[in-house]
Order: sequence, then structure tokens, then C-alpha cells
Amino acid sequence: MVETKGIPKILINKIALSFVFAIVFLAYLLMSSSESAVHYSWMIPLFPLVSFALILLFGLQDSEKGGSIALFGASFSSVFSLAVAYDLFVNGTANGSYVESSRVWFSGSTYSFEFGTYIDSLAGLLLFVVGVVSYLIVLFSISYMDDQGDRRVRYFAEISLFIGAMYGLVVANSFLLMFIFWELMGVCSYLLIGFWYEKDSASSAAKKAFLVTRVGDVFLLLGLVILYNTFGTLRYSELFADPQILRDNLDEVKWATLCLFGGSIGKSAQFPLHVWLPDAMEGPTTVSALIHAATMVKAGVFLVARAFPLIVHSPDTALYIAVTGGFTALIAASMAIVMNDIKRVLAYSTISQLGYMFLALGTGAWAFGHSIELGMEPGNSQGYMAGLFHLMNHAFFKALLFLGSGAVIHAVHTQDMREMGGLRKEMPITSLTMGLGVLSIAGVPFFSGFWSKDEILEAVHHNSQYEGIFGALWFMALLTAGMTAFYMTRMWMMTFSGPSGRTVSSVVTSKDHSDTGNWVVESKKVKSHAHEAPLIMTLPLIILSLFAVFSGLTLVFGGGFSSHVYYGEPYESHGMIQWGIIDHILSSSLTFLSVAVGLTGIFFGIIFYKRGPDGNAAFSTNFVTDIWILKIFHTFLSNRLYMSDLFNWFGMRTWDTIASLSDWFDRNIIDGIVNKIASLSMSFSHNARNLTTGFTGHYASLTIGGLGAIVVITRLVFPLMGWSV
Amino acid sequence: MIDPIHFVLFSSLLLLIGAYGVIRNKNSIVVLMSVEIMLTAANVNFIAFSTYYHDLTGQIVALFITTIAAAEVAIGLAILLSLFKQRDTIELDLLNRLRW
Repeated sequence: MVETKGIPKILINKIALSFVFAIVFLAYLLMSSSESAVHYSWMIPLFPLVSFALILLFGLQDSEKGGSIALFGASFSSVFSLAVAYDLFVNGTANGSYVESSRVWFSGSTYSFEFGTYIDSLAGLLLFVVGVVSYLIVLFSISYMDDQGDRRVRYFAEISLFIGAMYGLVVANSFLLMFIFWELMGVCSYLLIGFWYEKDSASSAAKKAFLVTRVGDVFLLLGLVILYNTFGTLRYSELFADPQILRDNLDEVKWATLCLFGGSIGKSAQFPLHVWLPDAMEGPTTVSALIHAATMVKAGVFLVARAFPLIVHSPDTALYIAVTGGFTALIAASMAIVMNDIKRVLAYSTISQLGYMFLALGTGAWAFGHSIELGMEPGNSQGYMAGLFHLMNHAFFKALLFLGSGAVIHAVHTQDMREMGGLRKEMPITSLTMGLGVLSIAGVPFFSGFWSKDEILEAVHHNSQYEGIFGALWFMALLTAGMTAFYMTRMWMMTFSGPSGRTVSSVVTSKDHSDTGNWVVESKKVKSHAHEAPLIMTLPLIILSLFAVFSGLTLVFGGGFSSHVYYGEPYESHGMIQWGIIDHILSSSLTFLSVAVGLTGIFFGIIFYKRGPDGNAAFSTNFVTDIWILKIFHTFLSNRLYMSDLFNWFGMRTWDTIASLSDWFDRNIIDGIVNKIASLSMSFSHNARNLTTGFTGHYASLTIGGLGAIVVITRLVFPLMGWSV
Repeated sequence: MIDPIHFVLFSSLLLLIGAYGVIRNKNSIVVLMSVEIMLTAANVNFIAFSTYYHDLTGQIVALFITTIAAAEVAIGLAILLSLFKQRDTIELDLLNRLRW
């Protein structure tokens, strides 16, 4: 039952059925026990994990089944997590505090490992984001992976595990439990990035992603060890309970938070460890969407937000987070400008936006710690709220952009934007929804990205009056905003603008696919024969575009976004409620500046890259190669700042030396000893060899027979004779 | 009620099955599997007594044994693989060159 347009009827039934089941189950639970949905949050990660197991068990019989089982798992946990989020934000169950449940898994004499859930507004926010985005991505991938045959079973099993791990990470009640799910996500990202493992680039990208994030994970584990050794617990509720204890151990807190942030750097692809994320584009586009919007990289931001109560006590860490974030945002945006692969543009854009979030969180933590120092109560945590706000908005518009690019790739079977163009006519829904996503990330007023980006800029600017470096960071962030608008417009224009069905005879492509700037002119006919994606793919796009456009308005609805995730004071007495009032944003001169910068970026993007009637951009990309200084700059950026090369060189230098040293040691010392012993024992065994027959069975039965004889003698004969051993 | 004696009987049974497999089988891979069964017998004892004495050490040792068994199988299979490359067989009866 396959239709090219529209959703197959059987799938509609499945979607409806899964939701009905999930809602009925939730309603049954709520009715039967009179407890709120928050108390069932422990079930949220279980559903995808169970569907992971079910797909492995039953999926192989029928490759169609994998998708529907994954859909059921995802819809159950989506319904549950939305219910929890509703409970938290509308009913105010946690009342600005948290709800914890805990159970002992196993216990020894000194330590008992507890697992449970810790639901506060941060977890609720993440549950909301992951619940919406992951469900839509699973829905989208049912159609996207349509042509993959039996591999879909593996895909859906892995993606279920991935989503389950992310839910688990969000609801976990201790750093240790979170770390377990964190590693589980690392494995899943490895599996999914290397989904097409027969491709060399995919399998090496998977290894790269796994190993590079491992570097961060080692730091994270180190941070957990420091925390446990200092405070004797890793449970959030116990760690965060008493600020005084934290203040008494400032050094430990500082190093622990730095190490925790090391984990975030790996997971969220921040500056020295950003190299894995662009390569991770080798996986299916839906996986990229999941990694970039809902899971994986968001986990790093979540970790920093989770450790926020610790970080506020360490201004050094906060400053380091802010600087890393601001710097990463700038360089990633600069690299996104020169990439020609549509997914790589989005990947660098994610790195850049994550940098924004870290900048906001670091700024917030620094400001909060600073206001405590000055004795100002309550602390100012505008950056914290702005970072989380941006996290939510970014999840929606980045999932939208990735799924849109997935639809484009599905239609034109290429990822190179130079071979695209003119898709606006063939793919109206995709181009429209992606356009909304572009406007949102570019920070055009009243789209969601505008609100959060503006709040981040304002928070950073606010800090610059206390600490000079925030002024530089503010300038970098402003520059990044303009560049973001520019490269996003470039992406949209290169993909969608121009005449449809064009035929271009010469396309400039690089020799290899690594975008190294080694351009050669190839004769290549590009005939567009794209068509709009089926409804099951465009439906998630439409839903996500609604979220991407309107999620910024949560700033004003019911108490405002800020009052719900406010950090510091309890729910009721928030000192910064005016932050949520829109006229404060609209009347600020900073806002006009950032809007002007964004619009400038869009303007330049349009005049540089809008494809004319002949299908070529008004400004040929050759102008980069004509001006030598631009060319140098372009090559530098295309080679991704030579970071990968630097790592390779460093790795070769160090490991080669160590390897050749140990090779010599192995050959001469260890082998020398072994050879000497061997020659000695050879002469011995030359004489003793007559004992051996060569049949393994003989040796084994001799051994076992001898053992049996010893047992019989010591246990039967000795007691019978009255002797003692 | 399951007494320790049952665990011990069970593990001895496992050990004997493993020993029988080692002696009687011609196929090296089956022999490797039998060795694993014997290791499992040891594990059963460890876990049984660890539960009996309420001491986690036994379970940790069992974990170590499992790890070492995995490593041992990896080495064993690697040996068999290179053996197969050289001799085109892993039948134990045909591999009797290791004699006087």
C-alpha cells in the first residue's frame, strides 16, 4: 500500500492508534491513582527502550514493522512527556522546585546506586522539546527511509534507543545515571552516523564522532569523580541543596565544573572538539536532524544548564564557558559561509548556535555569581533563561531545516547546493517551511529566533559593564548574528531560487568531496526533476514550521517563558519578570542594532546568491578566486581552519614517536627475553617431547582424569582410611 | 527453597558438561564453547556464594571472569582464524603436528 502523494491509509491508522493508545494509557494511570503525570515520568525513557527491544525481537520478520513499533514508542513517550511538561508549566506541579523519585538499584557496603527521576522546569522544557521533535522525526523517517529495505529494522531500533537514552538523560536524578545515558547516546550516535557503514567516509565519520566525544566524556567522568570525592553524592537534589557547602569547596567546584564542561564541549561540538559534527553528516539526514535538534548536542547544553547551580559558584568556569561559546559561534559561522554541502552548512550553523547557547549560559552563570558577590538579591540569571529559550527555539527551527534539507536531498539525490537551484516551484511546501526556518534562525523580528537571540545579546551586553571581555563577546555574537543571516539566506537562495528545470553545462566542484577548495570545472548537465515530498514528510515540516515561527511567543503566554525556567529564586518572587515583557525588548536600542545586522546579512545573501533566470547566481562564486586575499581566506575556511589537519599532524607526531619507541622496545627487549627463554625451553622440550601424542583430546582427558583422581583420593580414599589432608 | 547445594550441583553439572565437550569434540570452536561453559560453572559458584554470604565481592569476581572469558575467546578465535589460514582446517584430529 504505497502512494506517492499523501499518507498511506494504513499509516494514518497507526498514527491515530498510537496516540489513542498512549492517551488512554496515560488517562488510565492518572485516573487510577490520583497522582499527577510527573510521577509517571520514569516511564518516558522506557517506552523507546522497550520498542528498541521489540524491534530487535520482531522487526526482522517484517521490515515494515520496525517503523510502526518505533512510532508507537515515540508517541507514547511524547504524550507522556508533553503531559509532564503541561503538568509542570501550566498546573505548576513542581511549583518552581523539583519532584524527585528514587529507588535503589543495587547496594554494597559503602555505596548504593540509586536511580530515579528528577523533574524540574529544565527537565520539563527538554521533555517538551524532545517530545515534539523526536516524534516528528520518527514520523518523517518512516517515509525518508522508505527505500532502505531490511536496514530499516536496524535504523528504527537504533533511533528508538537514541531517543530513549535522551529521555533518560533528561529525567535522570543523578549525574551518574545521566552519565550512563550520556554514553548510551554516544554509542547510538556512532551506530547511526555509521549507518551506511559500507561507505568509507561514513564509517570513519562514525569512529571520529565516537572518539572525539570520548575525549570530552573522559573529562566528564573526571568531573563526576571530583564531585563524588568532594561531596559524597552525585544526586542533583543533594548536590544542589546547600550552597554553603559548595562555597566552602570552591576549588573542587571549579575543577569539577570545568571538567563537566569538557564533556559538554565534546558532546555539543564546541571549539577544539567541534570537528566531529560536520563529518557526522554522513548518516541519514533524519539522524542529523535528531542529533542536532533533539538529542546528542542538546545533551551538552543540558548538562551545563543542569550543573548551573554549581557553575554559578565558579566565575572562572562561567567565563570559560562564555568565551568558548562566543568563539565557537563566530568561527563556526565563518566556516558555514563557505561550505557547499547543504548539510554541512546546517552542521556548522548548529555548532554556531550551540556556541550561542553556551555563551548565554556562561554569561548567566557569571552574572549570577557576580550578583551574589555584590550581595544583590535575587541574582540575575537572564543568560540562563536566554540560553534555554534559544535551546528550545533552535530545536524547532533546526529540526525543521534538517528535515527540509532531507526532503530536498530525497528529491534531488545530491547534497551539493551548487547542483541545486530552482526547487521553489517543484517543492513549494518544503521551500516555504524552510524559508520560515531561515527567517527564524536569521533573527527576523517576531520569528522565534529573534526573541532568544536578542535576549542572549542583551544578557551579554549587560555583563560588559562589569567585565570587559563580555564587550568583545557581545561584538562577536553580533557579528555571528549577521553571518548567520547571511549563510542561511545563501543556503536558501542556492537551493530554491532560480528557474526550475534548469540545465547548467559547467559546475564548479572540488576534486574530492572534502571541500578543500581544489576547484575544477566539470561539464555536467544538471536537469532538475525534483518533486514535492509526500505528505508524511511535509506534515512534520509544517508542524515544525509552526513551532519555529511561534515558539518565541512563549515569552508572553501565561507568566512568560522566563518565569517558568527562572533560576535562583522560587517560582513566585521572580525579580526579573519584566524580562518577559515585550515592550522592554522592542524599545531597546540593542534590538534595533541586532535586527539591522541580521537584515544586512539577509540583504547581502540575497544579492550575492539569488539565482537569476539563467540559473546562476548574480555574483559568480568565482569572485572569491579572483581576489587573492579572499582566496586565501576562503581556502583557510574551506579547510575548516586546518583543524583536522592539525589533529592529524599532532596525532602522527606524538603517536608515531611513541609507537616506534615501543616497537623497538618490543622487538629488542621483550622479544629478546622471550626468544632467549624460548631457545632454552626448546632444548629442554626437545628431550621431553616424546611424552606428547598431538591429540588435544588426550591432553584434555589426562588433565581432567588427573584432577578427578586427586578429587577421588582426597575426598573419598583419605576419609575412608581415616587420614586427614 | 534453593540451598547452596543445588547451586553447587548445578555448577558441577556444568563443569562436567564442559569437560566432556572439551574431551570429546573434534571441532575447535565447540571446544572453545565448552571451555566457556566450564568458566560459567565457576561463575555460578561465585555468584551463589556471594548471595549466600551477602558479599558483593563474589559478583565482582564473576564480572571479572566474564570479561576475561570474553578476552580469552577473542584470542582463541584469533588463533583459530590464523590456524585456518595456514592449515585450512580447525578439526582437532587433523591438527596433531604438535607432537614428537
